[in-house]
Amino acid sequence: MDNIIEVKGLAKVFGNQTAIEGLNFHVKKGEIFGFLGPSGSGKTTTIKILTGQVTPTNGTAVVFNQSVSQLKKPEFRSRFGVLTDNSGLYERLSIHDNLKLYCELYNIPYSKIDEVLDTVNLKKEKNKRVSTLSKGMAQRVTLARALIHEPELLFLDEPTSALDPTNSLHIHEGLRALNAKGTTIFLTTHDMQEAELLCDRVAFLNKGSIQLLDTPDKLKKRYSDSTITVELMTEEKVVLPAGTEGADRLFEYMNTNQVVTIHSNEPTLGEIFVQVTGRKLA
Amino acid sequence: MMISLRRMNAILQKDFKDFSRNLAVSTVLIMPIGLGAFYGRGGVNSIEAHYMLINLAFVMIATFVQCCLIAEEKEKNTLRGLMLSPASTTEILGGKSLLTFILTMITVSITAYLADYRPANIGVIVLAFILSSFFYIAVGTLLGLFSKSVMEASVIVMPVVAVFSMGTFLPTFVDQYPFLKMGMYLPNIQLIELAVKVEAGGGFGDVLIELLIILAWTIILCMLTAAIYRKRMVD
Repeated sequence: MDNIIEVKGLAKVFGNQTAIEGLNFHVKKGEIFGFLGPSGSGKTTTIKILTGQVTPTNGTAVVFNQSVSQLKKPEFRSRFGVLTDNSGLYERLSIHDNLKLYCELYNIPYSKIDEVLDTVNLKKEKNKRVSTLSKGMAQRVTLARALIHEPELLFLDEPTSALDPTNSLHIHEGLRALNAKGTTIFLTTHDMQEAELLCDRVAFLNKGSIQLLDTPDKLKKRYSDSTITVELMTEEKVVLPAGTEGADRLFEYMNTNQVVTIHSNEPTLGEIFVQVTGRKLA
Repeated sequence: MMISLRRMNAILQKDFKDFSRNLAVSTVLIMPIGLGAFYGRGGVNSIEAHYMLINLAFVMIATFVQCCLIAEEKEKNTLRGLMLSPASTTEILGGKSLLTFILTMITVSITAYLADYRPANIGVIVLAFILSSFFYIAVGTLLGLFSKSVMEASVIVMPVVAVFSMGTFLPTFVDQYPFLKMGMYLPNIQLIELAVKVEAGGGFGDVLIELLIILAWTIILCMLTAAIYRKRMVD
């Protein structure tokens, strides 16, 4: 599989503050790549470098086989979409008028507006002025704007941070559908469940550098303590170790019809992050 | 370099809708028109008086309005959205200047008409007005790019408004204060000198120097604005 993003030794220093240092990773074409880290860990700076909005202090970042400095050229800008926490909308205009402008800028038909508003669950509200929308609705409009031209590469910075669970679920479905059509997604999120649900691979970013990078399954296996929890008929929960001892006890419980449920004790991505970095994600 | 008129038109239409609902900025149009009507009824008929009004109209619409429009795009982070779209610098800045240009030409024409200013050679004056509006729009864009918010923009623009409107009376003080001679090359003063020559029967050939000086200011400001805009594309 080709890489759509390749980053080597990437660093950015603002004044005397290091935002990111020595980042090395690649994003394969067609995957959903999760970039996870607490506030101030360098996620947004990385997105800004990868979209040509910030010049790196050191290292190289290549997107679409081009140095990120080339991304300022209009022909490359139509190939990616960006949603960041500071993406703005024209508040005096309706949702439809906001998206209409972007249809013109990207040279796409207005019929895409209804399609993309359906994805973010806002089709009925399309004539509402942006100034009258809630924060969550405005965020969905911004997401619709990032999706409208079906980019090859989509950068999403906390796309569901202001959304309720129902709308988050709706967005997740839309993102999966977009990904199935071939869009590569670079996603930053605090929501570990979202990362587990959507991402093919995740990178843990802490204090400007990547601490771990792998698929969620492999990470969970790597950090699993290999124990299992057995819930018994007496409502007691017993943690069994790996190996012969655990197997013997489980056999005994099963043989005497005492077992209600069996769970493997894999850690969540959030627990792995805390274990690796000593920091919470929020 | 290809320029998409479709994109520029889209930005113009968006700006028109947004501007018409933005009373804080759109009501500025009334001021020079009102002053023009007042001057016209007062019978003020000197070329300096007419051009103080015309230069005020230029600076209030082309500079102040443009500065506020750009500053608001920056404040609300919508300019970043345009910058990240496939629209080029020329398309974005051109599209964003189109509305201001149209408003400026309409307002200046109405103001001059109400003030009872009837130029001897309308062709030369229209050309000079077009060139001047480009200059004032470039100044407005530049100041807008330096402002972080509309509030900041409305403060930053005030000295410029003062220089280019009240500066009309600069020639009166040049003999008394020779250091002010440099200011005689400002585009607002050149516009007055051009108008004086036109009233004396001058044609295109007679006002070529004044037109070239205004053009030179416009080119320098446009280049500076484009450079600052490109710098602002990267944090």
